[in-house]
This record gives sequence, C-alpha cells and structure tokens, in this order.
Amino acid sequence: MAAVAAKRIKRVAAGQHGFLSLNHTREQNSSRIGKRKRVNRNKKKNWNKYSDIQDIEDFLDDVRLQERATGGLLSEKPDDSLFFVDTGDQNKVAQEAPVTKRGKSSKPLRVDLILQHDSLVPSPKDILAHQQPNAKKLRRISQRVEKQVAKGLQLRSQKQLQRRKAGGATSSSEKSLPDDDPSRPFYDIWGQEEMLSGDAFYLEQTKKKPVKRPDRLNEKPSSLPAVEIIGPGGSYNPDFFDHQALLLEAHMVEEKKQKEELKLAQQLAVRKEDIATEETIFQEQVEGLVEEDDEEEDEPKGEEEPKGSAPAVGREKKTERQRKREKAQKEREKEKRTQRELVDQRQQLFQLRSIRADLKRREQRTRQKQAQYQAQKEAQKFCPQRLGKLKFQAPDLEVQLSDELSGSLRTLKPEGSILKDRFKSLQKRNIIEPRERAKFIRRNKVKYVEKRAFKAIT
Amino acid sequence: MGGLQKKKYESGSATNYVTRNKARKKLQLSLADFRRLCILKGIYPHEPKRKKKVNKGSTAPRTFYLVKDIRFLLHEPIVAKFREYKVFVRKLRKAYGKSEWGGVQRLRENKPVYKLDHIVKERYPTFIDALRDLDDALSMCFLFSTFARTGKCHVQTIQLCRRLSVEWMNYIVMSRSLRKVFLSIKGIYYQAEVLGQTVTWVVPYQFAHNHPTDVDYRVMATFTEFYTTLLGFVNFRLYQTLNLLYPPKLDSKAEVELKAEHEEDYAMDSESYLEKLSALSACLSRVIATVEEEEAEPDRFPVEGEDAEALVVREKEQKEQDSLKNLFEGLKFFLNREVPREPLAFLLRCFGAQVSWEKSLCIGSTYDVNDETITHQVVDRPNVDKKYINRYYIQPQWVFDCVNSRIRLPVEDYFPGVTLPPHLSPFVEHKEGDYVPPEKLRLMSLQRGERPEREQEEIEDEEDDDEGDDSQEDEDGGDDDGEEEEDDDDDMDDEEATDEKNLKLMEKQKSQGKALSVTVTPGKVKQENKMRLEQEEKAEEKRLAIMMMKKKEKYLYDKIVFGKKRKVREANKLAAKRKAHDDACKADKKKKKKKTTGRE
Repeated sequence: MAAVAAKRIKRVAAGQHGFLSLNHTREQNSSRIGKRKRVNRNKKKNWNKYSDIQDIEDFLDDVRLQERATGGLLSEKPDDSLFFVDTGDQNKVAQEAPVTKRGKSSKPLRVDLILQHDSLVPSPKDILAHQQPNAKKLRRISQRVEKQVAKGLQLRSQKQLQRRKAGGATSSSEKSLPDDDPSRPFYDIWGQEEMLSGDAFYLEQTKKKPVKRPDRLNEKPSSLPAVEIIGPGGSYNPDFFDHQALLLEAHMVEEKKQKEELKLAQQLAVRKEDIATEETIFQEQVEGLVEEDDEEEDEPKGEEEPKGSAPAVGREKKTERQRKREKAQKEREKEKRTQRELVDQRQQLFQLRSIRADLKRREQRTRQKQAQYQAQKEAQKFCPQRLGKLKFQAPDLEVQLSDELSGSLRTLKPEGSILKDRFKSLQKRNIIEPRERAKFIRRNKVKYVEKRAFKAIT
Repeated sequence: MGGLQKKKYESGSATNYVTRNKARKKLQLSLADFRRLCILKGIYPHEPKRKKKVNKGSTAPRTFYLVKDIRFLLHEPIVAKFREYKVFVRKLRKAYGKSEWGGVQRLRENKPVYKLDHIVKERYPTFIDALRDLDDALSMCFLFSTFARTGKCHVQTIQLCRRLSVEWMNYIVMSRSLRKVFLSIKGIYYQAEVLGQTVTWVVPYQFAHNHPTDVDYRVMATFTEFYTTLLGFVNFRLYQTLNLLYPPKLDSKAEVELKAEHEEDYAMDSESYLEKLSALSACLSRVIATVEEEEAEPDRFPVEGEDAEALVVREKEQKEQDSLKNLFEGLKFFLNREVPREPLAFLLRCFGAQVSWEKSLCIGSTYDVNDETITHQVVDRPNVDKKYINRYYIQPQWVFDCVNSRIRLPVEDYFPGVTLPPHLSPFVEHKEGDYVPPEKLRLMSLQRGERPEREQEEIEDEEDDDEGDDSQEDEDGGDDDGEEEEDDDDDMDDEEATDEKNLKLMEKQKSQGKALSVTVTPGKVKQENKMRLEQEEKAEEKRLAIMMMKKKEKYLYDKIVFGKKRKVREANKLAAKRKAHDDACKADKKKKKKKTTGRE
C-alpha cells in the first residue's frame, strides 16, 4: 500500500511543473530508470523485492529537507524571500557590524545556538497540555456524587472511614507490634465473620483464600491427657498407703533398671575360659614347632577324600524303563488324587452340618481377631511412638521418701521440674520427637597465643 | 507377559511419607524454622506402619512426615515471613560487621514480624475447640510466668505470660468456676469447669527453679508463643461472656481502696496495675455496671427424653454447685506472711471470701491484722505471738481440703501445731469395692451431713479410737473370704445377723438374769416393712435368674463375682494393715508421752 501511495506522490510531484528540487544530482539519478526486470506480480514477496521506490523516497526526503531548512517548499515561496537586490553598499555593512559587537546581548550565545532547534518546521502543538486527563470520567463521577448527595445517600468513602473508625486502631500501628509484646491487644477472633468475601474462584486463584485445614490434622496424635495428674501418693502430705504404693512403684522401676544394667554387664563380662592361662600361652608359643601333631592330622584327611567323591558316583543316568515307570507312577497318583477329591466333594453333601459349624467357628475367630486388633490399636494410642533416632524415655518418677516429706506447706521442698514434665509430656503425646542436645564439635584446633601486653611484662 | 516391571518405592506407603530433611528442603527452611513452623501449625511427625518400605529399604530410624501435611504447609504465609527473617538477620549481621549504626537501626525498625491469629482461627475453628485444648496453654503460660527474667527466654514473653495468667485467674475468680485443687510435690494442680468444659492445669510452686539442661528451650518458647496467642483470644471471649471489660480493669470502688500511699515501693508505675490485678483482692469492673444482681430463678423445663428422676438429679447437682460456689461466702481471711499468698488468695477469692495480707508483703492488701471482723487467719508456723480470740487460726491445708470436700471442714484438725490429716487427691475416683482410706470415708460421711462421734471420742480418749468400726469391717472381710455365695445376699445377711445378735443378747440377758421376769406384754401388730419385702422379692428374682443361667453365662458371672470379691478382700487386707499401722503409731505416741512425762 505504501509503495502505491509513494508512487502516486511521485507522479504528482513530477506533474507539478514548478517543483524545485534541492538536490539536483539526486533528481537526475532517480529519474534515470533502468530496464525493468520481469517478475511475477502475484506474490507479495515480489512486490517488496522488485518494486523500485527509491525515487519516491528521495523526493520525500527532499521535501522534508526543504521544510527543515527553509520552512516550506521552495517552489511555493514568494520570490522576495528567495532573492534580494544586491545594491553593493559595503559601508553600511561595515557600520552595522560594530553596532552588533557593542551590544553583546543581541548576539545569542553559542550554547543557545547549539540548543536551538535547527529545523524550521514548527513543533506540533501540544494538545495534551490543554487537556485534563480523564476529564470525562471525572466529570461523570462528580455528577454521580452530586446526585447521591442530593438524594441523601452516604458516600462510599465516608462509609469506609466510619468502618475504619469502628474497627479500632489503624493498620499501620498494628503492623509494627510484634506477637510477644506484653501489651498487645486481643479481639474476638471467633465472633467475626469471614473478612474475605467475593467470588470463591477469584479468591482461590489469587491465593487470598486460606487453604482448608484437613480434618486429619485436628485429631490428636495421642489419647493421653495434656496434663497428667500425679497419683494420690504424690501429695505433699500423703495418705500412708498411697505413699507406700508410690514408693513401691518407684522401687519397681529402679529394680528393672538395675536388672537391665546387670544383664548388660553380664553380657559384656569376659568368660573365664577366655582368659589366657600359662598353659595356653605356652601352647601358643610352641604352636607349629612340635611335629607330632602333624602326623595325626594327616591320617583323617586321607579318609575323608573318598567320602567326598562318593555321591558323585551314585548319580548315574536313569534308564528308559525307569523313566517310564516313574511317569506311570506319577499319573496313577494323580488319578487317585482326583478320584479322592471327587468322592470328598460328593461326601460334603452329607457333611453340611459340620461345614456350617466350621464356618461359624471361623467367622467367630475373625470377629475375635478384629476386636483384638481394634483394642490393640486403641491401646497403641496411649503409647509413645518411635518418631526419630531416639526412643521416648519416661522421666524419673517424682518421689519423696518418708523422711523427706515435710508435712507442712512452709517447709515443702518441691520435687522435679514442671518444665521438664511439660517437655516430656509433649514427647509422650507424639507432638515432638525425642531428641538429644546437639553436641558441640570443635572444627579447628585451639591455638594459645600470648597477648602482646602480657608478653611485655614477662 | 506382564508388561513393564513395577519399580520399587514408587507407589504406596513409600510415596505417602517424606523424611524430615526432604520436607525441610522442599519448604526451603532451616531445621529450626521448620520445627517452629510444625509446632505453630500443629503438624506432627508420624510413625509409618511399614518403616522399611517407607525408608526405601533402609531400617535406619528417621523422622517421617506425611507428604500431604507438608504440601499443606506450603500454603502457609508464615513461611515467607521466616524467609524474610532469615534475610533480615543476614543484613543485620552485615551492617554490624561494617559498623553502619544507622543501617542497623533502620533494619531493626523494619524487622519482619508475623502474626499467629489466622493459625489460631484455623486450628480452632470454634471457641469450644479452643477451650477443650486449653490445658497445655495454661500450664505453659503459668510455667513461663514464673521464670526469672534472665537470658533463658525473652523478657517480653515472660511478661505476656504473666499478664495472661493473671487475666485467667481473674476470670476464674469472677466466674467462680474452680472445682478441684491438689497440692502435690511437683506443683499445684487446679481443675475448673469453664462453660461446661473441664480445664486442668498445673502451676509450679513459687520457688526458684533449677533450670533443667535437657529441655529444649527454643521448642518450649515456640509452644508458648502459640499458646499465648490462643490464651489471649480465649480470655477476651471469656471476659465477654461475663460482661467484663477487657483488658481487665479494677472496679472503680476497689481502685480507690487499693490506692496505697507509697505505690512506687511495690512496683514501677508501668507494672503496678498488673500487680494490683494479680493480687486478686478486688473485683473487676463490668461493661455495664450492675447493682447487686438478683438472680431470678429460671424456669426449668425437662429436656426431651428425660424423665423426672433425671431432672431431680440434675437439680440436686445444680444446688450442690451453687453451694460450692459460695463455700467461703461471708468469711474474712487474713494470710500470714509465711503462707503461699497467690494460690491461697486465688482459692479463697474463687469461693467468695475476702482476703487480705500484710501491707509489706504485697500490693493490694485491703485490711490489717487487727481488723476485728476477720474470721480466719491462715498460719503456717508452730506458734503465734499475738492471738485474737474471735478468729480461728488455721493451717493453709484447711482451705484446700475444704474446696476438695465441698464443705467447710471442722477447723479443729487444722489448728496450728496439730498434725494435719493427709491431703487426699481429689482426682482419684474410688470404684465400688476399692480400698478407701479412713480419712476419705470420714470426709464422705461429713459430706453427707453426718457428724461422726469419732471426734468427740478422740477428744475424750484417744485409745478407743473407732475400734468398733474396724472390728466390724474385719468380720465382714472374714465372711467374704469364707463364703462362696453371691454378693447380693450380703446386706440381707447383715440384717439377719443383727437380728440374731439381738436374740443372742436376749438370751444372754436371760441367762444372766437370775430370775426371768415372766410377764405378759400386750401383743403388737408386726409392721410389715414394705421396703424390705420389696428387696427380698428382688433378691429372690435375682437368685432365680442366676439359677436359670446357661452354663457359659454362669461361668462368666462367677468370674465377675469372684473378681469383685477379690477386690473386697484386697481392700480389707489394706484396711487391716492400716489399722495395724495406726495402732503402732499410737503405741509409739504413748511411749513418747510416757517418756516425756517421766522426764518431767
């Protein structure tokens, strides 16, 4: 399309007899048209490739140049502006020059000249400077507000303000408060409706909707109570028997521990037979020096050899006859078995009662097993699981011996630590895994260096 | 034949679990942050059923999480905050290293903080859910509030914990919902009934802790962080239900009263209000000031499917509770300085008493020792210098025992210097046939409103102390051991036995009396005891039912009966033991007495 338009312009320009070109040489160049190449015009590719628009481009360039340099087309300028009558008065020129020199201000600075527009084409008028952006929209908004005020309705912005006022403190001050600030405010978290409202899909897509917590996570990992209450023997002023019961329990625990330790010690102990005696030491030293033993050892070896080769001899090839016989035997057995099964099946008709009883028994057994399994599962909910490298280790029982009991609140010495109790309780309820305190490992060797000040003294 | 071979560990339980390290890497968090996140969100490790499969053939013990749980964690906005915090720390370290103090300050001002509100809402969708899970939160808050304000954890956390626990105690006082309390060697266990939920918590004694070294403080601090948020919201809601102001404000009347002359001696200005609140000696102000509310008795309608008996039982329970709530109403207590002030003040205020203490002990005392209207003074020292005649001096255990037994116990057993009766645990529930210590029995009889003569006996002479009772018990035990009959006949037997006894007595009298006074007395109409007849009928029916039992059922029944009997036997054995112990104690006492008298 552009090419067609350019061509038309060219034709128009050529048609204008009065058009003056600024660059004559180029005009001549462009006007010289070479031999046209024959190409197919039915392809768009070819249009671009083979249509020569150089002349038009030159022409347009020239037009632009004229506009820049002279402020319009030369051909349209009046003659006065192009030419003047040279009278040849040189004095006037000489006179005028000093005047300009004297008034320095009249001559523009070079800097200004550089910065000046060198094109004579006036810059297009800035329409935006005189326009208000979004004027139409704003006008419409203001009109609507006026209408609402006239109707006596409340504006949205005012509503928002009031809501914020009712809500309490501003968001900015709230944000700065950390969570463990001792004077932090609380509010009714369960009374409020969901703050977010809108299209569910939109909220989900924009990740504004919190992900629903699976119900599985609201189940407790253990059925144990959060606060396990110490038995009646743990009272500060206990009943005699309750206290004795507690002591007995503690005693049992301690006994069990000792037993385990003893067992370990026994397993690790050195056996008496393993301890070297003088005799064994001597034997070891003499080992291999005495020749008598070797002869004795040789003899049994000779006996063993034929034994090892014996089974190889027995594995002979079966004869054809043997094979046939074995096959027949197998078939007979199979026949017999099928026969037997058939008979059994027929007999089962008469065993219906016993079969039924058997079925019943089996069902009962499965039911029992199910119940047992269920009970086991329930019981397991009261036990700590194995959650990591370490097993849960029950804390020591808090016990005060009979002579440690004070019997009065004033002289009471508390036993154990609640902090540890809480920690162990969390572990017992499978909320956290039992862990060992991380050991400090020194990577680099410690170097001891005398300080300079210290050196100075010594 | 069967297509591609299935690869191992690409389906089933192996894909349902991830190890902790993998989960941590997926979330791009450090181990400490991961652990913190799991605690806050309530995600716990799991023990897989088939460990070897999950662990891809290895049997090394590892910590596993469910993949779905970790995927759920990915959505948590706090994760981003954790990462931000990591960057913050890095920047801060850099600024420190370059000694850019302006930069350090700017960074500190913009320290990333996170809120746990949404997690609380998520984990406890309703208020009741939160109440059910309050035990841990309370125990932790009370524990942390007793910590010394040293480097073990943030001072702010301790302050917040203190504030929340004080608020909770004030709520319990105002709602009078405490039910049980138990002084153990570990700490004090409390149980309250809040909006129908039983809440149990433990409070350490107010002595200096020895900090155990094998406890991970960081983990505990994380738990506390979550629980403080939870407890704050719960407190707010609870105060709302009671129509109280939140944060709590002292009653304007009380505030004037509590205005001490030298407040700055007790606490700093910033802390004095909290201290006054924690003194628990004054009421809190309500949103709408009420004038001595008169509780109108609401009409009671039977719930559907509930018969009249149940209604009666319920009403009785209600009445009992009301009486418990006003257990110490109208009493005026004074706490000596050697008794633990906070638990006692809390307890007494929970049941409607007025409490005060010495002015130099704590802020918030309302009256002096020499107030004439004081009814009880709690003392825990062997002798008191100056005694007032119009008040009881009691040991602190009296208060605790009264609460547990739900009546005002006789004060004589709790006078200063007297050996205290044992402090029994209120959390033990005795089943039928269990051994019940005699102190408990006595308590129960007191609760029923009987006043056992034992006390008077005790005062008169200590030797003949309830021997009769014990011997009777022994007899019963012997009977049980010997006979192999049904348990239900026992009461019948007892009655028969008493009849026989009467007869024997008569006979004795007859034999002793030299001359039988033969007289004819006018005949009486023998009154037929309807109740007894009914009982007999019932027993007969039961016997018949037992006779008609199948062999199998009979076997089971016998087993149950045997179990019951064994329990009774054991209980009897224990009782006998106790008696022997008591006797031994008495003998010792006697000896001592004799010795002392001899010396004198």
